[in-house]
Amino acid sequence: MKEEIKIPESINKQTSRRGFLKGAVMTTGGAIALATIGGVKPKEVKAAEAPKVVQRYLFVERQNCTGCRACEYACNIKHEGVVRPSTARVHVYKHKGVVDVPVICWHCDDHPCIAACPTNPKSLTVDPKSNGIIVNEKTCLGEKCMKCAEACPAEYVRVHPDSGNPVMCDMCGGDPECVKACLQQSGKPQGPCLIANTLGFGVNLAYRNVKPVKAAEDMMDLLFYPSKGDRPKTGKSGKGR
Amino acid sequence: MTAPKGGYFGKILEVDLSKGEVKTRPLTDELARKFIGGSGLGAHYLTSEYKAKHDPWAEDSFIFIGPGPLNGTFCPGTRASFVNQSVYTGLISHAEVGGHFGNEIKWAGWDGIYIKGKSKKPVWLSIKDDKAELKDASKMWGKDTAVADEMILKEMKDPYARTAVIGPAGENMVPYAAVIVERTRAAARTSTGALMGNKKLKGIGIRGTKAVPTVDVAKFTEAAKVALQYDVDREAWQGIKRWGTGGLLEQKQWVTSSLITKNFQTTWYPDIEHIGGEQAARTFWKRHVACNNCPVHCMKLGVIRDGKYRGLIAEGPEYETGGLLGSNLLMKDFAGMMAMIELTDALGVDSISMGGVLAFTTECIDKGVLTAADLDGIKPKWGNADAYMELIRKTCYQEGKAGKLLSMGVKKMSQKIGKGSEAWAVNVKGKEIAAHDPRGDKGRAYSYAMGQCGGDHHEGDSSDLQARWGMINSLCMCSFVGGVPWLRETPGVVLNMLNPLCGWDMTDQEYWATCRRIITTERCFNVREGISAKDDRLHKRFLTEPLPEGPKKGWVFTAEDEKKMHDAYYKHFGWDEKGIPTEATLKSLDLDYLLDDIQAARKIL
Repeated sequence: MKEEIKIPESINKQTSRRGFLKGAVMTTGGAIALATIGGVKPKEVKAAEAPKVVQRYLFVERQNCTGCRACEYACNIKHEGVVRPSTARVHVYKHKGVVDVPVICWHCDDHPCIAACPTNPKSLTVDPKSNGIIVNEKTCLGEKCMKCAEACPAEYVRVHPDSGNPVMCDMCGGDPECVKACLQQSGKPQGPCLIANTLGFGVNLAYRNVKPVKAAEDMMDLLFYPSKGDRPKTGKSGKGR
Repeated sequence: MTAPKGGYFGKILEVDLSKGEVKTRPLTDELARKFIGGSGLGAHYLTSEYKAKHDPWAEDSFIFIGPGPLNGTFCPGTRASFVNQSVYTGLISHAEVGGHFGNEIKWAGWDGIYIKGKSKKPVWLSIKDDKAELKDASKMWGKDTAVADEMILKEMKDPYARTAVIGPAGENMVPYAAVIVERTRAAARTSTGALMGNKKLKGIGIRGTKAVPTVDVAKFTEAAKVALQYDVDREAWQGIKRWGTGGLLEQKQWVTSSLITKNFQTTWYPDIEHIGGEQAARTFWKRHVACNNCPVHCMKLGVIRDGKYRGLIAEGPEYETGGLLGSNLLMKDFAGMMAMIELTDALGVDSISMGGVLAFTTECIDKGVLTAADLDGIKPKWGNADAYMELIRKTCYQEGKAGKLLSMGVKKMSQKIGKGSEAWAVNVKGKEIAAHDPRGDKGRAYSYAMGQCGGDHHEGDSSDLQARWGMINSLCMCSFVGGVPWLRETPGVVLNMLNPLCGWDMTDQEYWATCRRIITTERCFNVREGISAKDDRLHKRFLTEPLPEGPKKGWVFTAEDEKKMHDAYYKHFGWDEKGIPTEATLKSLDLDYLLDDIQAARKIL
């Protein structure tokens, strides 16, 4: 007769961070938490319905961008109804025909743009719910000021060709269209490049504090010339030949 | 005569290089509905403004760069069409090029750019919305396409602008020169580059901030989202996403047996593993690049990591470039092949024609009808990248005896060399063919022989497909995005977008008539230039030499195949057995203005 193999309980236990966190939430729940500790398997616990997460930050994984501009298009469809990339709240910059850099509003916690805004009260405000930036079209001084554009470390802020006011990302009220479009377009082998930050770990300043041209040059080094001295010195174009 | 309600701005930018001025030419809704845009509208201008037997080098020759009505909207994968009378073959030619250039034309508020005349000194055309001006290009004359692109962007002070430029090949009027758009995409096969060089137009930089007028925004957006979904869902495109068209190199070798090899002598080339998509994925590719709103991202960029060309960033191999500059030259040296591809892009020459010319030259050397003395001491050998690189450079600069000879193209070269070299001078209507061997892939014979541009692989592989592609090229849609995935749903998926966009009530019937009208108009241009059924033929190598190896050993494109193709094709479009559109067809398609010309041509042919 075969001996029944006993599986140690620790193997069955879910040890992922999510499970850990879930357990942590449960302990505060009282009675159910006690039951969990008492050895009841997790699946028997009725999972609490996850609350709808409000996405407070945008993040861009630049290496994944294919330059399709689906983000611009989706943004335009949401805000303008028709496609007009000059007014989009996200831009894709093509550098030397080689790399594409999505230029986004990172929704910084320190808000250099708002700090630079000279009007009183400020023409730029933060929507507390979505973390989006709202422009007050009436009080904004527009094209002749653009202190916000000067202050932006990511060189994101653009002038609207009609109103002359800055174009700011309002995070679509917490559910950004650009992120959804990017996810739809992506697939194997290239993952999405635009990500909305659901965990809320804040702004990656190392990513934010580079201007598009610098970011593009860095990415060229990262992707195409990983070891020192690979980059050809001849040819101003950078596409050495 | 009404102005278009939506989809079009109703104006075309007309540039006269002789006078150095820019004008606006109106576009009526009736004309737009009849010819849609892109290659269709270009064909209309060519047939209505040129007289029969037009000289392509003449001063009144024009280049039409047309986006379609869907460009600049939410519709994915729209392109730009370069239409002109080819200086290479004398026939109508259109090249569709991807990227964002076509959309930018629309966003600048134009339905097309029409360029005529000849400038005395080098100029480039700067377009910012309504403001178009010609600027001095003497500093960028002679520069390669990447440098010229950078200089134009710098002068426009707008990093978001898009460019189309010619390289040294165009400046030196090599008849198969290309226009390079956004550095890596080529509008080739049309000799537009040579024509631009002849007009002393170095390039175009364009940036727009407008939106395409749309009649019913909600309905259109919904239809465009449905159209996009076809491409997102299409399983076959998962391979293109991963491998680009470079992955087809292996597929056409092992499965279809239509990978051209050794100047079209065979289709069996197991060494493709050294230069195909898999090798590129292992050692070369770094990035995927997409056109506007396109989920397929078929373009791949990579960098060479070792050897002589270390650090060279290049685009490809695509199926055509990898076939013509790879297997057709028996290349095994991947880096060498990529360097050749990048050199053709940089110097602005059509890599398909260039590959055909190099393969023909090598076979001439093999058969002893050409010697190294005829080629300035260079002796090309199969698979020798260095000799080929030197020949490409010489050709583009028309340098020495080799450059002068090779820049003539295969047909004229064989006429000059003689000695039976016509037997391996593979061309259709005077133009080298692309990388699909019609013996293995018989459908391609339609595209090569029956297609109006001649030797073109992108005109549809049956009579029905050619009609459809007439429309796809006029809408300036990508074949991958708009052509193949929508096949079963056309015209529904297109009309669902077009009607709310333009405020039309186009029916299925009108759609199919428009398809046939566009192809028939193109045909009428060629008929006036002396083309008839006798020219709609493949090269005799495909009819007389069976495939020597591979899964389709012994296959040949027979005379019966050809007869069947002619009969089916002419019947589908309502042309007579000589391939000339009949009077009834022209009248039914509302092409009365061509009646006299065609009657006159019929008497001669």
